Amino acid sequence: MLSLLIFTPLIGSLVIALLPRENKDLLRRVALLFSLVPVALVAIMWARYDTAAEGMQFVERIPWIPAVGIQYFLGVDGISFPMLAVTALVTTLAILASFNIQERVKEFMALMLLLETGMLGVFVALDYFLFYIFWEVVLVPMYFIIGIWGGPRREYAAIKFFIYTLLGSVVMLVGILALYFQSGLGTFDMLAIAEQARLNPTAQYWIFLLLFFGFAVKVPIFPFHTWLPDAHVEAPTGGSMLLAGVLLKMGTYGFYRISYPTLPDAAKAFAIVMGVLGVINIIYGALVAMAQKDFKKMVAYSSISHMGFVLLGLAAMTPMSMAGGLFVMISHGLISPMMFFFAGTVIYERTHTRMLPEMSALFTKMPVAATLLAFAAFANLGLPGLSGFAGEFFTLTGAFEPLTSLVAVAVLGMVLTAAYHLMMMRQILMGDATAEAAGHAAAHAHGHGAAGHGALAAVRLPDLTLREAIVSAPLMVSIVLFGVAPSILLRIFNPSIQALLSRMGGL
Amino acid sequence: MQWQMILPEILLAAGGLAVVAAGVMGRRRETPAALAAATFVAALVALWPLRGITAEAWWGMLVVDSFALFFKALFALTGLLVVPLAHAYVERRGIHAGEFYALIVFAVLGMSMMASSRDLLMIYLGLELLSIGSYVLAGMLKDDDRSLEASLKYFLVGAMTSALLLFGLSLVYGISGSTHVEAIRRAVSAGDGWRGVAVAGMWFMLAGFGFKVAAVPFHMWAPDVYHGAPTPVAALLIAGSEAAAFSAILRVFTTGFGPLANYWQAVFAVLAVATMTYGNAAALVQTSAKRMMAYSAIAQAGYVLVGLAVGTPEGFGAMLYYLLAYLFMVVGTFAVIAWLSLARPEEMLDDFEGLGRSVPWVAAAVVIFMISFIGIPPTAGFLGKFYLIRAAVSADMVWLAVVMVVNSAISAGYYYSIVRRMYLTDRSATVAALPPGTSLVVGLAAAATVLLMLFPQPIIEWLGSAQQVVALLR
Repeated sequence: MLSLLIFTPLIGSLVIALLPRENKDLLRRVALLFSLVPVALVAIMWARYDTAAEGMQFVERIPWIPAVGIQYFLGVDGISFPMLAVTALVTTLAILASFNIQERVKEFMALMLLLETGMLGVFVALDYFLFYIFWEVVLVPMYFIIGIWGGPRREYAAIKFFIYTLLGSVVMLVGILALYFQSGLGTFDMLAIAEQARLNPTAQYWIFLLLFFGFAVKVPIFPFHTWLPDAHVEAPTGGSMLLAGVLLKMGTYGFYRISYPTLPDAAKAFAIVMGVLGVINIIYGALVAMAQKDFKKMVAYSSISHMGFVLLGLAAMTPMSMAGGLFVMISHGLISPMMFFFAGTVIYERTHTRMLPEMSALFTKMPVAATLLAFAAFANLGLPGLSGFAGEFFTLTGAFEPLTSLVAVAVLGMVLTAAYHLMMMRQILMGDATAEAAGHAAAHAHGHGAAGHGALAAVRLPDLTLREAIVSAPLMVSIVLFGVAPSILLRIFNPSIQALLSRMGGL
Repeated sequence: MQWQMILPEILLAAGGLAVVAAGVMGRRRETPAALAAATFVAALVALWPLRGITAEAWWGMLVVDSFALFFKALFALTGLLVVPLAHAYVERRGIHAGEFYALIVFAVLGMSMMASSRDLLMIYLGLELLSIGSYVLAGMLKDDDRSLEASLKYFLVGAMTSALLLFGLSLVYGISGSTHVEAIRRAVSAGDGWRGVAVAGMWFMLAGFGFKVAAVPFHMWAPDVYHGAPTPVAALLIAGSEAAAFSAILRVFTTGFGPLANYWQAVFAVLAVATMTYGNAAALVQTSAKRMMAYSAIAQAGYVLVGLAVGTPEGFGAMLYYLLAYLFMVVGTFAVIAWLSLARPEEMLDDFEGLGRSVPWVAAAVVIFMISFIGIPPTAGFLGKFYLIRAAVSADMVWLAVVMVVNSAISAGYYYSIVRRMYLTDRSATVAALPPGTSLVVGLAAAATVLLMLFPQPIIEWLGSAQQVVALLR
């Protein structure tokens, strides 16, 4: 089941490589079809998923390189399964959102599917070697997606993304090997090492730091974040959606899956550092986002800010804060693709600008699209009733007891987040389109009396298309659903979080 | 029985002579290439019955074991891949096919002798056979100044290398009274007052071999030679000649100088760090494709040296795997460079521009080679680096592992400059029609690069026995 899930996109990518490049519609449809298979499989798995069990489900295990103790070992639990679902969903929507790409459609679609295999693989791999392979496989297609279809500074952004994350992951590889030898078990099995390895605290600290470097670049944790604004801003919309929606979560997932269960002593020792870094991410991200004039850059920094909540949740190490961190990962995985979709495609294609000061009065110019954008912005700023609020609420409540002062600062971050979203909405959604148009018309058609008449029609922009509505709808439904009924996710998280915390020594 | 042990070498020597004869007498221009390829196939077939055998003949002048077998197969494979790689290039540049292919066969024979002897004299003879062939091969483009410079420079440096080796060898012979590595080991480990002489001799030999693998600071010839030599020859030198030097280093240092490991392990660690760092830094600023690959070859030699610095059987096994993986990446990349040079003989990096659109499958193969050079999965280069890092970490040399991975990340800068040119620019360089030989080599090399990573188990098992042959005897 899981093998089928992760390799269907790879097969799709090979099929696309064999199709003629002229027939763009066919290429797009085939890509969409292949990306829908994982969605369907995730839905089936969701139905069969046993929320009472705390261990791995849908396990597949075959020896691969027995000489070194490497296996092909897949499985999901409450920590990885929701991320798997988000990945499958967001990839499909990102492919659908990229239907407007006209150049080199064949390569684009093949790379998106290849990327999906890498991302899905990261969340199901339970062998360090396999995990690392999928982790790295993600890099190559993303480099091309940014580098070929990106904005004006795409080459710079692509190689910066590539080298930064490569540096992070190769250091992580050294950490993995150190773990392998320190454990003395002769296996790369993540679960076996987590359960059986008795590592002394000093070894744990060093390994934690090596792994931390790899994860921190990916999350990204301040001060390793500088690749992110470039990559997110220059990437085409489909790429930004996956970067923000899925790739960042690979970093925090690494903490949940590897660092915490395997290196509990180090995790406890570094908790305060993680918490402080998390709060820095929250405040710094929000302040820089507030200063941005470029819409996409604002969303990029808001991602840094939101990932800070996950770190804070990890640092507090209470059942509620850990579940809250996972909740933020899922919720941000749904909201940020929607934000990027609007900033990079829906709004941009109509106004031909991403600069906030150059946009105004979208509520009158394109009412439906503007309403949806407002919905996404409210979800992102943490409006109660939507998933963004639920995640942050659980995180902060859970973290309040152990890390009271950090939570107090983080709450300030929520205020800042609300502030820059509201400022953004006031700038681009509100305003008087008629007056503005009249002003323009008066300036242009000096002396022609009838300028005011029909100005409203002139400033009307084409509203949301059906395809754009189909991209937004699943995200909006999930955001509302998880916002009003967070127990759907918590039910899946909790057994795994409980197991994780009890293994770490019962907090 | 003894003749069967040396059958692969006999076949190579006979094949080489046949190629010479075909070059002089044959009317068809394809004959020498076909004969050379047939010779390599015959040598590979002759290696087959020797598997699993461990034997010594003629007082250690010739040995057959899994280590020798591995390297001999690697060298024959290198030759076999270089022939189709070179075919169109040789035609276009007007190189005499008979001499060219014959010298390649003889060079491979020299490499085989180096890998399958435990006697320093024999190793030296093999090295000379390889070197003299290589000097001539490097200068085969007779009306190209750069090729002539490469030949002369390689010859002068090579002569000095030989002198260093021989001087070291004579010192070692002075205290051991034998050129057999086992006898040397006994003499060295007896450790009476002459140990200092042995160490001095060892360091001279280390410098000599250091030149052959282009380790910094013995590398200054390498960029000019690899850049100036005909492209197929550069591939042969980088993939084959370096591997041959590593095979000799492993034989001599692990057995003969095993008791002196404390004197050379740290030296190899320093060489490894200097070599990979310098190679990567210098490659970043190149504009010529071949020159960049020359510096990349220096950097890659630095990675392989890590295995020697580690000094464990795992480290040596990792070196062997890496050299095999490296063979396919180098041959594949140079096949593409040689093909591009048919249209644009300057061989600049810009020749790769627009390859992603003009010949997509070759560009995709080049991406595989490049990510393999960097060490990104799913490629053999990744698994090779993984093994080297694993060996370093298991020997408590985490610092060396970190230096190595940071270097890999830096190397992405220049390997990706090729990828960038192929896919990210709007310009397109003109390309010649793809010769069948190039297609064959590129396709095989790309497939091997991926398959060696996905299904490494048979090779790993083979290396498991090969690495025991050269296990460090202190």
